[in-house]
Amino acid sequence: MGAMILFIFYGSILFFILATALRVRKCIRAPIHLHWELYKGSSIYELTEWWAKTHGTFVEKLWSMVLDLLFLREFYHRNRRFWYPLYVFHTGLYLLILWHAWLFIRAGVGGIETVSIFGWVWGTFSTLLTFLGGLSIVIMRMTDEELKAYYPPIHYLKWIFLLLTLVGGIIAVDIHFHSSMPALLKYVREQVTFQNFEHKLHPALAPALHVLFASVWLVYLPFSHVFQLFFRYYHYLRWDDVPNARGGEIGRRIKDYLERPATWSAPHIQSGKRWREVASELQQTPATGPK
Amino acid sequence: MTTEKKKIRLKDISNRTDEPLITVTADDLMPFPPPLDQRGKKAPYSPLSEDQKKSYECSLDGVSALALPKPKSKQEEEKLVECFLGGLRKLLSQNDNWLFWQPLIQSLESCVRCQTCSDACPVYVSSGNQEIYRPTYKSEILRRIINKYIKKRGKILSKLTGGDIELNWPTVARLAELAYRCSLCRRCAQRCPLGSDNGLIGRELRKLFSQEMGIAPKELHDSGTVQQLRVGASTGISSAAFQGMVEFMEDEIEEKWGKRIKIPVDKEGADILIIHNSGEFMSWIENPVAFAIIFEAAGLSWTLSSEIYGYEATNYGTWYDDVQFARIALKQVEVARKLKVKKMVMGECGHAHKGLIVIADRILMDEMNFPRESFLPLLEDLILHDRLKLDPRKNNFPATLHDPCNFVRLMGIVEPQRRILKKICPQFREMEPHGVDNYCCGGGSGFAIMNSMNFKEWRENISSRMKLKQILETFSDVLDPGMRKYVCAPCSNCKGAIRDILASNDLWERHSIYYGGLVELVANAMVDLKKPFIEWEWH
Repeated sequence: MGAMILFIFYGSILFFILATALRVRKCIRAPIHLHWELYKGSSIYELTEWWAKTHGTFVEKLWSMVLDLLFLREFYHRNRRFWYPLYVFHTGLYLLILWHAWLFIRAGVGGIETVSIFGWVWGTFSTLLTFLGGLSIVIMRMTDEELKAYYPPIHYLKWIFLLLTLVGGIIAVDIHFHSSMPALLKYVREQVTFQNFEHKLHPALAPALHVLFASVWLVYLPFSHVFQLFFRYYHYLRWDDVPNARGGEIGRRIKDYLERPATWSAPHIQSGKRWREVASELQQTPATGPK
Repeated sequence: MTTEKKKIRLKDISNRTDEPLITVTADDLMPFPPPLDQRGKKAPYSPLSEDQKKSYECSLDGVSALALPKPKSKQEEEKLVECFLGGLRKLLSQNDNWLFWQPLIQSLESCVRCQTCSDACPVYVSSGNQEIYRPTYKSEILRRIINKYIKKRGKILSKLTGGDIELNWPTVARLAELAYRCSLCRRCAQRCPLGSDNGLIGRELRKLFSQEMGIAPKELHDSGTVQQLRVGASTGISSAAFQGMVEFMEDEIEEKWGKRIKIPVDKEGADILIIHNSGEFMSWIENPVAFAIIFEAAGLSWTLSSEIYGYEATNYGTWYDDVQFARIALKQVEVARKLKVKKMVMGECGHAHKGLIVIADRILMDEMNFPRESFLPLLEDLILHDRLKLDPRKNNFPATLHDPCNFVRLMGIVEPQRRILKKICPQFREMEPHGVDNYCCGGGSGFAIMNSMNFKEWRENISSRMKLKQILETFSDVLDPGMRKYVCAPCSNCKGAIRDILASNDLWERHSIYYGGLVELVANAMVDLKKPFIEWEWH
């Protein structure tokens, strides 16, 4: 059992890193698509000879994304009712992620006996905030007819599992470790420094369960919306109005796709020919009516 | 007394019945402000005749946009369903659908079902929140079909991810019609906190039907892109007819406004090739006339083209078919290239802007990657740098601006038209909301020209309802018929849709609400025209 927990925990970290790398690779290698952006306000197309104008800097764009992620600005402006629980949940979650990072760093450096009570307050507050936000979202999802009708059952399972993970964390910290930060840090130190292997192979139930739950989340995270948000939404929907300059990288990539066969089967498409040929050669065939 | 309506569920799309899932009634509709609040209620659209019902699919809402014939046998149904599934696989394949794969997958995967988008949709709200018009309705159905029939995740996982949709012919037929109940205004996508674009999902569905199954509205395909590729314009105008129209324009200018202008046609090496929606020449010739007067007064080096494909800005492929889109865009650019002009400028046509300037940017390679821009920054330059002698007092009537979705939300051209109007119209007033938050005219994505069976009624009473409400609210304090009012709609399709809603509600006759383009207002403010340019004659 202990060995399995160990395998799952370290395996999940490895999986998280690998899956994230694969997701990033998939996004980067996805075919370049036609321009299909949306604009929140004025763009370069308001200018004559827009193709010669400069775009917003990467830092400006990144800053806008950070603000969106931190404050969920889109939800705040568009759906305030949903924003309240969502914001509580996300604030708790961000604090909790930071707390875990602190926990791992603090366990590795400095004396653990001198740790301040502030660490416990931070962790408990973040957990409660995340739990409260998450629970509110689930209740809203279950009681609001409009939301309920479109929410597949698998997502409820996700929420229930998340809430259980949080409860598991509270049980581990406050019952198993008696709210003692030095005891908790000692446990974490053992995990990150590979000390006391015997202890690891026979873990106590509460921390073991929490670690198991957390491992499942690590496996899920690369497939979550947060990952899509950056690579697709920001990079490809809001920030993609870079013109196709003659002889540039965009043109080079598109040319490659234009040489691929068009496979669509309707009568007006010359299926099997290359995209470049299909687009430039005319065939006088009306197509309406099922083929 | 109203009876409570049956709640429509996602799985109802598969109902094996010819009966429509819903019929929108007069009581369902979003109410109008004065003066239309006092008019008697009428059903938004007439039922189809018994013959039509027997022949065409109308089991979505009793409306037929596609005139989709009913299959004659079970085998034919099955073949069509297989064909749909094959098309869906292609839609989700990087190789087959590289042109839109990335944003489509983003839209399918990122929706968190928060329904933030619902209230952003003018069709959903105007219809009294009909479930089938909710932006997420078709998207969620498609998502569930993909999970169940393409990803094939096994019984348990399929059930957990909502595998309750049966993919049968009624589902396919209803989805085909449903793809044409969204005007692709993408207001829902703008509203989505995660960038899920239900408008794009609608467009990709249209594409699946057209590119794989050969199903598309006749107005967009047969008499749209196919006709344009055959004769040069979706209106059917030939090159010879176009040249005759240019001569007519020159005579009109002289007769009405006392100026003899030689409109340049096929002038090689001109700075600007202006391309108008050919619908302007057929229905609103004063628009290209105003452009000609303005460009000549400003001393620009410009030309029109009489070459086949050179006098038509539209590209209906933008709305339903990548192949037809690419074919037309390439033909249009080829004309400009051969004419050796410095740049192409798009006239008052929204989708032509988005299509040729933005979307086509990535299919125009090497010498075909030709400079293309909107008329708006050019016009703004002329006006703000005093290249035209203008007297705003000539436009001293209440005027408002309808923002074509393609200019604002879909392209980010928001301010030039406002700066122009503020300079030339002393009584300019904004609609609410406006700019990137504007509402579609209801005629977007081809709706303005689609008139199959009862679809025109649906458009006028549901799709365009929000726009009409906005217009009435904007002019609520000046409804007196003694005071003329102007709705500026700088896009041909928007203008057509707005004309139809004003006409069907007698708003010109009863309240003097008129409509037209932007350049007409500019020409109307020009001091050296003998007579006012705007004639206030309904057409």
